[in-house]
Amino acid sequence: MDEAVVETHIPCDLVKVLGVEPQIRSKAVAFTQAFLKKNTEPRPQLDEKSLLSHKAVILEYTRPKKKRINKQQAKGLNAQQKREIKIFHIKSEHQRYELFLPLHNLWKQYIIDLCSGLKPTSSPQSVQQKLLKADFHGAIITVVRSKCPSYVGITGILIQEFKHVFKIITKQDTLKVIPKRNSVFQVEINGFISYIYGNKFEQRASERSAKKFKISGTIDL
Amino acid sequence: MSGHVKDKEAYLRLNYLYQAAHCVLNQNPNNVELSRFYCFTQRTIARRLVLRQDPSVKRTICKKCCTLLVPGLTATTRQRKRGKKRSITILRCLSCKQSKTLLNNPDYCLWQDRPESQAQQKQPDQNAPVQSQPKKSKPARFDSSNPSTSTATVEQTPP
Repeated sequence: MDEAVVETHIPCDLVKVLGVEPQIRSKAVAFTQAFLKKNTEPRPQLDEKSLLSHKAVILEYTRPKKKRINKQQAKGLNAQQKREIKIFHIKSEHQRYELFLPLHNLWKQYIIDLCSGLKPTSSPQSVQQKLLKADFHGAIITVVRSKCPSYVGITGILIQEFKHVFKIITKQDTLKVIPKRNSVFQVEINGFISYIYGNKFEQRASERSAKKFKISGTIDL
Repeated sequence: MSGHVKDKEAYLRLNYLYQAAHCVLNQNPNNVELSRFYCFTQRTIARRLVLRQDPSVKRTICKKCCTLLVPGLTATTRQRKRGKKRSITILRCLSCKQSKTLLNNPDYCLWQDRPESQAQQKQPDQNAPVQSQPKKSKPARFDSSNPSTSTATVEQTPP
């Protein structure tokens, strides 16, 4: 009976007062599971075994020391800490193609917004100028040409862009790591096809927005 | 402001990255890493092009590990008393334990919304560059102390 109370929907008149919208059932389940997982992790400092094995416990009363407040500002993590928490590493159970489809839809809206409608009348050069500085996370890209023939033909959603590498998730739910050097990629937006020459693209995703590109005549692979 | 913005493409990109981080986290609440990557990219772009981000965006991104702070999922929010009258909201990142402190003050007005900030933006253009130097440093100092003196718009009442 108690469970039924938990699962009931929020009454309509309360929705306006609280300013909360009821979530879809599948989303609510996913949120609750993630919430419980995050909040029920045992705290390391309260674990009795490690407390007793590594520390001398004083049984007499001691005056609690005043903690010195650390006035230093938050500095970022160092490389070792980043490696320990695997800061950008996507776990294998999250590598599913259908989870990234909403990201692709969002990306489409962003590109159309960026190119102000992307009409067939707009000149391709101005669109390409904008695409150079655009973000490609979420795009569906295909490897068209490459020095290594086994990379050719891989299609998928680009989810991470590093300095020398694209991480692509394919329809078969596998994460492919493709080097930018010596390969050509194809991006298609509403019938507008543009090619990315990986050799010229070897920068971090964030650095590209500040960089000026030189126009070079010939690009050979 | 809305008519002509200088770095429109860059702002669009920042906007997209912020939305993408939310989208990824909404789809799969456990995939913190990818949303963190997008927030990290967003922050480095803003740093490189020297673009100011809105305080509401900055408050939802962890300073230390760039995680998108969603209460309940990647962060905890707690109401604490500080002193006798004032109360604060503590937003704590669950992955790196870095905490943000926001003062609950409904009358607080952000620097951007104040009339002085509009006047300051226009002045450096007219005056000589020597004069504008101390003025430039002022908003920057305000920015750094911003998280500690800002409002929490939602006042929570303990059950």
